[in-house]
Amino acid sequence: VLLHVDAAQGAGKLPLDVARDRIDLLAFTAHKMNGPKGVGALCVRREPRLGLVPLIYGGGQERGLRSGTLPTHQIAGFGAACRIATAEMTEEGARITRLRERLWSELKTLPGIWLNGSERRRAPGILNVSIEGVEGESLLLALSDLAVSSGSACATLRGEPSYVLRALGRSEQLAQGSLRISLGRFTTPADIERAGERIRAEVDRLRAIAPSPAAATG
Amino acid sequence: MQADPRYGAEVLRRFRELPGAGDLAADASSDVVEGRADAADDGARVLLSLRVRRGVVSEARFRAYGCPFFIAAASWLTERLTGASRDQIAAWDWREAADALEIPPARVGRLITLQDAVRAAAAAWPG
Repeated sequence: VLLHVDAAQGAGKLPLDVARDRIDLLAFTAHKMNGPKGVGALCVRREPRLGLVPLIYGGGQERGLRSGTLPTHQIAGFGAACRIATAEMTEEGARITRLRERLWSELKTLPGIWLNGSERRRAPGILNVSIEGVEGESLLLALSDLAVSSGSACATLRGEPSYVLRALGRSEQLAQGSLRISLGRFTTPADIERAGERIRAEVDRLRAIAPSPAAATG
Repeated sequence: MQADPRYGAEVLRRFRELPGAGDLAADASSDVVEGRADAADDGARVLLSLRVRRGVVSEARFRAYGCPFFIAAASWLTERLTGASRDQIAAWDWREAADALEIPPARVGRLITLQDAVRAAAAAWPG
């Protein structure tokens, strides 16, 4: 069995060791570590060979696995981003973790809010919460002045909550009411304070117009 | 709240200002009827409160849980139902809200829940 790891959120933020963790394939991307968009990397275990088959044929670049002229400027930018992220990982990780915990301390006083994921073992820059009584897409629109995401993929006829949150054991409604907040290199304490205030205000506003579940059984 | 090209101007205005939000049940007046529908697992729950006087709706309020289109449609509905008779309410169709608010076809599914609440209100009509 091969182990493929999508390390887009972890690369540059958490120490990765493909040998220690017996990772056969590890993919990550530049733009998640403040590098240029449009370039990523796939680490492939060297021995024993995996026998990967290319999806794109042509000039045989990347040892025949991914043909196409290499974007030198993006690769150089990616390399620089990796160097900076690695050099600052410990210090920056600690700073972002403090900001994330500060935001969670502010938000967890809201009744009916749930932290998604482990309390302790988590990427520094992500806070994913589920909030009772608010629907994710509405909360997202209400918070359009903040760069946040919802776990709710509410673009279909029947709104489909995040299958990842459902797999974590969240109910349909809690999965619909999820909010993913990402912190990064340029996030400041003032940003965190404002985000906390805005999220609380909009949760209160949307809850104020929601019918109680007990009342709406018809 | 910033402009978002996924939503029309009227949807954004109603979602931002929430005209018609609230309920009329607080005074326990006998001329208030309610219509409720709950499809919370599909992301939609609504409670309509209608005050009935002289055979028509004189005032309407809503409470809603759902996406911005659904909340905006519930708000729009409070104005649409004001002045309507029982028969007009019983015949109300969700497509009217979809057309009025220019809701994209892929997003109209939850409006059925709104129609269910309107029909429930019609069924609870006094007399």
